[in-house]
Amino acid sequence: MAATTRRTVGLILATVLVIGIVVAIIVGRGMQAGPGGPAAGGGDLTVVTGVIGSEKKPFFDDPRVREEFARHGLDVRVTTAGSRQIATSVDLDGVDFVFPSSAPAADKAREVTGAETVHAPFYSPMVVASFEPIAELLEEAGVARRSDAGMWTLDMHAYLELVADDTRWNQLEGADDAYPSSRSILISSTDIRTSNSAAMYLAIASYVANGDNIVSGARQQDEVLDEMSALFLKQGYSADSSESPFEDYLSQGIGSKPLVMAYEAQFLGRQLNEATAAAITDDMVLLYPAPTILSKHSLVSLTDAGDQVGRLLTDDDALARLEAAYGFRPNDAAVFTSVLEESGVPVPPAPVDVVEPPAYESLEGMIQEIAERYDTSAPTEHPTADQ
Amino acid sequence: MRRGSLPAGIAAVVSATLFLAGCVPGADDGALPDGPDTLRILAGSEVKDMVPILEDAAEETGVKVVFEYTGTLEGTELVASGGAAGRYDATWFPNNRYLSLLPGAGQEISESVRIMSSPVVLGLRSDVAERLGWDAEPPTWAELAEAAAAGDFTYGMTNPAASNSGFSALVAVATALSGTGTALQERDIESVTPEMTKFFSAQKLTAGSSGWLAEKVVSEPDTVDGLINYESVLMGLELGGAPATIVTPSDGVVTSDYPLTLLQSATGKKEKFDALTDWLTTPEVQERIVREVHRRPAVPGVDTGGVFGDEVLFETPFPGTIDVANALISTYLDTVRAPSQSVFVLDTSGSMAGERIDALKASLSGLSGADTSTTGSFNQFRVRERITLLPFDDVPGAPTVVDVPETDKSGALEEIRSVTDGLHAEGGTAIYDSLREAYEVAVAQRAERPDTFVSIVLMTDGENANGSDAADFEYYYAGLGPDARGIPVFVVLFGDGDVDELTRVAELSGGQVFDALNGDLAGAFQEIRGYQ
Repeated sequence: MAATTRRTVGLILATVLVIGIVVAIIVGRGMQAGPGGPAAGGGDLTVVTGVIGSEKKPFFDDPRVREEFARHGLDVRVTTAGSRQIATSVDLDGVDFVFPSSAPAADKAREVTGAETVHAPFYSPMVVASFEPIAELLEEAGVARRSDAGMWTLDMHAYLELVADDTRWNQLEGADDAYPSSRSILISSTDIRTSNSAAMYLAIASYVANGDNIVSGARQQDEVLDEMSALFLKQGYSADSSESPFEDYLSQGIGSKPLVMAYEAQFLGRQLNEATAAAITDDMVLLYPAPTILSKHSLVSLTDAGDQVGRLLTDDDALARLEAAYGFRPNDAAVFTSVLEESGVPVPPAPVDVVEPPAYESLEGMIQEIAERYDTSAPTEHPTADQ
Repeated sequence: MRRGSLPAGIAAVVSATLFLAGCVPGADDGALPDGPDTLRILAGSEVKDMVPILEDAAEETGVKVVFEYTGTLEGTELVASGGAAGRYDATWFPNNRYLSLLPGAGQEISESVRIMSSPVVLGLRSDVAERLGWDAEPPTWAELAEAAAAGDFTYGMTNPAASNSGFSALVAVATALSGTGTALQERDIESVTPEMTKFFSAQKLTAGSSGWLAEKVVSEPDTVDGLINYESVLMGLELGGAPATIVTPSDGVVTSDYPLTLLQSATGKKEKFDALTDWLTTPEVQERIVREVHRRPAVPGVDTGGVFGDEVLFETPFPGTIDVANALISTYLDTVRAPSQSVFVLDTSGSMAGERIDALKASLSGLSGADTSTTGSFNQFRVRERITLLPFDDVPGAPTVVDVPETDKSGALEEIRSVTDGLHAEGGTAIYDSLREAYEVAVAQRAERPDTFVSIVLMTDGENANGSDAADFEYYYAGLGPDARGIPVFVVLFGDGDVDELTRVAELSGGQVFDALNGDLAGAFQEIRGYQ
């Protein structure tokens, strides 16, 4: 019922915009106002609904963001879903826009919905969150390097070799003092079966394993599958949400998660927020994978109201600054730089060694095959009466 | 998960405890009391020590917490099956990893916030730790296994099928011994079984709950040299007259991160959930958590006063599938651990007629294969076990001894079911004569197979009416040798059993009282299995 009402709102809004008259639309569905409360300055707002990747929820909940949208007559309400599920398993009836965190997921959403307009207002490079002693160990092993400006890069070719050789931390030169762990060197990620950030990790690794080419087609998928599966199956349990391994990294530290695949925005967003800045300690560093992938947060508009949200996120200066305040990189790099500088956060240069992710079907095809290995890596044995 | 209105003084009943912060009125229908400001939380008994802090939370945030305690595996199974929806608003288990592996669990959970953490480690008498040099240089799990096999130390650990601390240790030891450096795979389990058997040969005490295990070791310090438990439980624990030395295996531990988890069915309580979790993660409350319940903080920058040392804890990766987790538990129960010998002393007096005897038959039948839930399967009589059924009325009946063979257990389980089905309620109640008979049987069985966990279960629904009395039993018990006195009696309170007298029997023998006064006899028997 509510969904139908929303669709109607979208259609009415379209009409209104076409004839160029500003009409306040009263929408009352008995829903609670969002965290920002009713817009300052009063007036009735057009409710716009979106389904977004959960990493952007704090941004949309921010009162400053809500106020800026309200200034433009919009009350943007969002629900969250896994970026990769948005296109395939969320009921989009009555939804004005979807906002997954990667281009392949947005492409799929566009294909499924028949939508034409996609806005890519900001992005965040994939990074490996780590610790200074770990980075130095990897540097000694020729796997990581620090630029003169102090920016770390992680050579993904060399990293995949370490994994293929099943190198343990305590086999690295200097590990006795720095990190005497017998665990295999392995980046922690989220669950590849459900989470976007793990899919981005797969996109990077499969590019490298495929001889520096984007994986395309069944044959190339098959060729890299064993190596790719190991990156995830060897981790054992991995969480669904990108916040979970990153929070392990923050709270349990080097012994729990020496290397974690994350969005750059997760790290910078905490540094930029006074309430969370203390979580990032001096010994925490970001390694930029070489090559890396940009998580391009892509808004697919399903209605004109959704399109307006996309345009505002892209063009509105105040919103762009707020995006940067959450650690995202708006299209205008100068905004990112000035927001970080004002907060005294060192500005990481935009990574230059960047590749594109595989097409949605290739990426999902690989994920599907890896998922099957989770199920078949062990014959199903359930405790039964006759065991 | 049972609840009952027990007289004060039986505070030890593990899963029956109900905690009310902020005076929420009680309910009679078995459901936790609810209200707009109340969070009904299904919790591991591990978080019981958070009650004083939560009482202050109620005062400061207005959010009242009502707990019902359960074992982590049992509770997570309930959540994944949808059985917690509507009944509870949130869960608070030591960790959500096992839950996340269960199919269907994802849809039941809305969000979770980690509140604190504690690794599962070994706490050892300081003189033993010094003798082995582990106070200076922490050993690897393989070194622990060698020392265990050599008889250098003994320890207690909870049953991994019933309790998270035991399960965490099992994962850590198996993963380390596999030597793969990565998460345990099912194919690794078989190859590490011999080494695991070495390590667990030193396990001389088992239990269904981490808290009970710690109390037991403190009250009976000669039982074992140490125990595997949460660091939080071990900190400040006295073993052999001195603070326990905490031994953190150098190649990895499994840490619990206590995520307070809002159920999908309770999203209407989101505001209360946020208020409570925000409060719990403030630096002030986090410092209190460090100080009062010895957990590590969940948020950075909290002053811990250095109480946890500066040693890096290497976290052991957790298995990636439920099949690996379950196969590991099965291997522990069926191959690795010492088997148990259990004498079931069963009241078949006239008062048991009707529903009560039916409940008893159903309970034993559940343990003999009828309960096929995951936890029910783990709780079943296992291979290598010896089960003795000792029914009684005016006098002790003839015991039936069933040895469950190592391979096919179906015949043995069939025999237990058939004996149980034949039970007939008639006659008087000779509790203490029968208990003495049970000790005779148990002592002989221990002599025959010394490396086993021997225990007695006493189930009665009435007061002693025939033969010797409680005082006679105490006299008898005092005359037993130290080995025999170490055999605990697990008492099931049922029907009109004499609570005070039976509690005394449990306490005397170092056992435990299990509450089935509300009629859930099967639940009590399931829970007892964690202690056998």
